[in-house]
Amino acid sequence: MRKKDVRVECWFLIPVRRDDQLSDGELHSTDAWIWLDNEQFARFEGGTLAPGIYAGFYRDPDTGKRVDDSSRKFIVALPQHRVRELRVLLQDACSVFQQKCIYLSVGGKVEFVALR
Amino acid sequence: MHAKYVDIAGRAYDLTPLSSEERKLLSRLKRLANRVESAEYRNRSLQEIATFYEGRGLSRREIVKKPLHKIAQDFGARKQVERGEARAPDYRDQLEELIRTRFPTRRAFCEATGLSEDMLSHVLSRRKHLSVDRLSEALGRIGYSLRISPLSKAS
Repeated sequence: MRKKDVRVECWFLIPVRRDDQLSDGELHSTDAWIWLDNEQFARFEGGTLAPGIYAGFYRDPDTGKRVDDSSRKFIVALPQHRVRELRVLLQDACSVFQQKCIYLSVGGKVEFVALR
Repeated sequence: MHAKYVDIAGRAYDLTPLSSEERKLLSRLKRLANRVESAEYRNRSLQEIATFYEGRGLSRREIVKKPLHKIAQDFGARKQVERGEARAPDYRDQLEELIRTRFPTRRAFCEATGLSEDMLSHVLSRRKHLSVDRLSEALGRIGYSLRISPLSKAS
């Protein structure tokens, strides 16, 4: 396989509800999910929404409190040089989905993409 | 299938320009939306639509503007609402989209509409509502208007 054909597996989690500190903690509108699907579909060649809901928890750095959340998991394989585009998309997604940051795994390494 | 399709947000799509192949695909996707869970519908409908239009030389950016694609997404959106996975959009979601797509910043939107940034922030965070008069006036300043549209079942 040529080096340029190698892709990095990236996946990210979008909580099913808006952040209750930034916003109201309500479910996202269908328009928000449609926006994400269209952006992924138009920017990248492929992508998958994993079935089901991913339940998890984290400590909110602003409040110090434990937060339980449920998320949807999106998987996309990208050439290394296009990972930056995914980060830019997720920065916009922070605004659309009213999140402080979004969990992104790039080739097994985790980062948190925050609002611009 | 009726000559007009109204989506969950009240946006209407004229079905008369759709080809017979597009209508067949749409019917197939509607059946699929009723049969499978949301993620599977999303993945399979995007795959089918990509195959259909890319085979006709359209780019992805062109495909996402096609009425068939938008209606197919609405089939999925309605199921998401039925299953309690998402909510139907309201005027605040439309405001957010307007700001995101037509203005470089929220501040630019506020300057153009005369709304205060503080008020806009409360409205978009679902803490406050704008009065109909205030919203109409603000939208009028940027060439938009409020519209009452019919609710519709997926047709």
